[in-house]
Amino acid sequence: MLSAGGGQEVRCMEKEKLESLLIDYLDNILSKEAKEKVDGMLAENEEARKLLQELNVIIGALDNSQPLQPSASMQRRFEESLANEVVLERKSKQIFRIPSMYRVAATVGLILVSVGIAYWINKHRQQADELSQMKTEMEATKKMLMAMLDNMQSASQRVQGATIAYTIGKADDEIVNALAKALNEDKNTNVRLAALEALAKFYQEENVRQLLIKSLSIQNDEVVQIALIQVLVQMKEKGIVKELEKITRDTEVLKAVKDEAFTGILKLS
Amino acid sequence: MKTKLLMVIGFLVATFVNGQDYKIAKSAGRLEVYIGNVEIEGYAGNEILFATKDHDRDEDDRARGLRSINSSGLEDNTGLGINVTTKGDVIEVRQLKKMNSPEIRIKVPKGVTVYYEHQSQYGGEVKFRNVEGEIEVSTHYNNLEFENITGPVTAKAIYGSIDATFTDNVKGPVSLISVYGHVDVTIPVSTKANLKLNTSYGEIFVAPDFKIEMEKQGELVSYGDKISGKINGGGMTIDLGANYSKIYLRKK
Repeated sequence: MLSAGGGQEVRCMEKEKLESLLIDYLDNILSKEAKEKVDGMLAENEEARKLLQELNVIIGALDNSQPLQPSASMQRRFEESLANEVVLERKSKQIFRIPSMYRVAATVGLILVSVGIAYWINKHRQQADELSQMKTEMEATKKMLMAMLDNMQSASQRVQGATIAYTIGKADDEIVNALAKALNEDKNTNVRLAALEALAKFYQEENVRQLLIKSLSIQNDEVVQIALIQVLVQMKEKGIVKELEKITRDTEVLKAVKDEAFTGILKLS
Repeated sequence: MKTKLLMVIGFLVATFVNGQDYKIAKSAGRLEVYIGNVEIEGYAGNEILFATKDHDRDEDDRARGLRSINSSGLEDNTGLGINVTTKGDVIEVRQLKKMNSPEIRIKVPKGVTVYYEHQSQYGGEVKFRNVEGEIEVSTHYNNLEFENITGPVTAKAIYGSIDATFTDNVKGPVSLISVYGHVDVTIPVSTKANLKLNTSYGEIFVAPDFKIEMEKQGELVSYGDKISGKINGGGMTIDLGANYSKIYLRKK
């Protein structure tokens, strides 16, 4: 039973579909392929042909029928009710105004949002452009400062290189290593100090912190030793106390360095 | 008679000057000086000139007829008590005696970079005057005086003091550091610079004409006195440091 009912329904659906297809066919709005398909179907399907004839009759009747004239009483009733509606509308004007205000607000809001989105997209693109520009600038700066740090002919160029490293916001490993090399190996004290200053700026980076601690045990320039002890004490680097004690016992060390080491031990403990 | 006398005087002057002067034709490159007592002056020329200020100050009767030698095997090839050796682009100037350095005056052309190093305590004041090239100095005991220089200059002294006056047109970077000595610097008031003045136990004095825009210090707490800021909007680097003494910054 159920399956039969289901079958009927399907057939019913098919009929409806077919009907609408045929109406379209008669109105001549079908695509070429669809038209050919309907033609084929009409040729082999008796039912479809019958339906087409019926539809043709109905549509013809519809086309030929006169426009219906409303009766006088009906027109009067309509006008009366229209007048009522107008009165009603006038009464409820305030109620209707709010939604219209909402509509205006919504429109304005939509415009604002779309302008905002456009602005955001534009700005985003600008930022991306600026970012890539900054990146190339950064690369150029890095190249320049590395070349300067490497200029063995001129100590002032190396100082300048380290000073540029001090001004950049973030130092990558390459720059940090070049600065560490300058700090420990450069033959000019002023270069070493400038490198220390630049490195100390990145003291929160773990690798920089380790480099600074390591430098204390290998540093052989007195002026830099003093500055390095000061930086490490400022960083509250308690791990260096042992190294500082070693410095205070070293007979070769300059008195000012020893004094700084003593001061460091006092401040850290 | 008069012309004869003049000729004799001229001859005497010529031998005198010849005996005291030594020169190298060089208008660029690097001059490295390792003498305890020296005055280096810049000039518009193409030769590096060496002269002594006190020819017979430490005349030693006992040393008469002997020649001074030292462990580095250097010879007095100038007649001034110093050895001058050219190694490619570098000219090295060394004294022969360990203790008493002769007082030497050197004139350098403008394009020459001057490097000075002296660690021994047997030395005096080292002066640089009108030098327009780069100066690099590393000493322990010498007092350093820079007069009317342009920079760039990097100098370190441990016990010595540093005094410097600059020309109207300063070229950075300027880095002058002493541990125990004072650092006294005079620059034009219009100098555009990023200043760093740093002392651990000393004091800092600055001419009121310099309006320093203080830079925000990092998170590190500084125990000493450390000032960094810009003058005239910032520009070249000027680092001055005197751990145990005073820093003076004057206007020209």
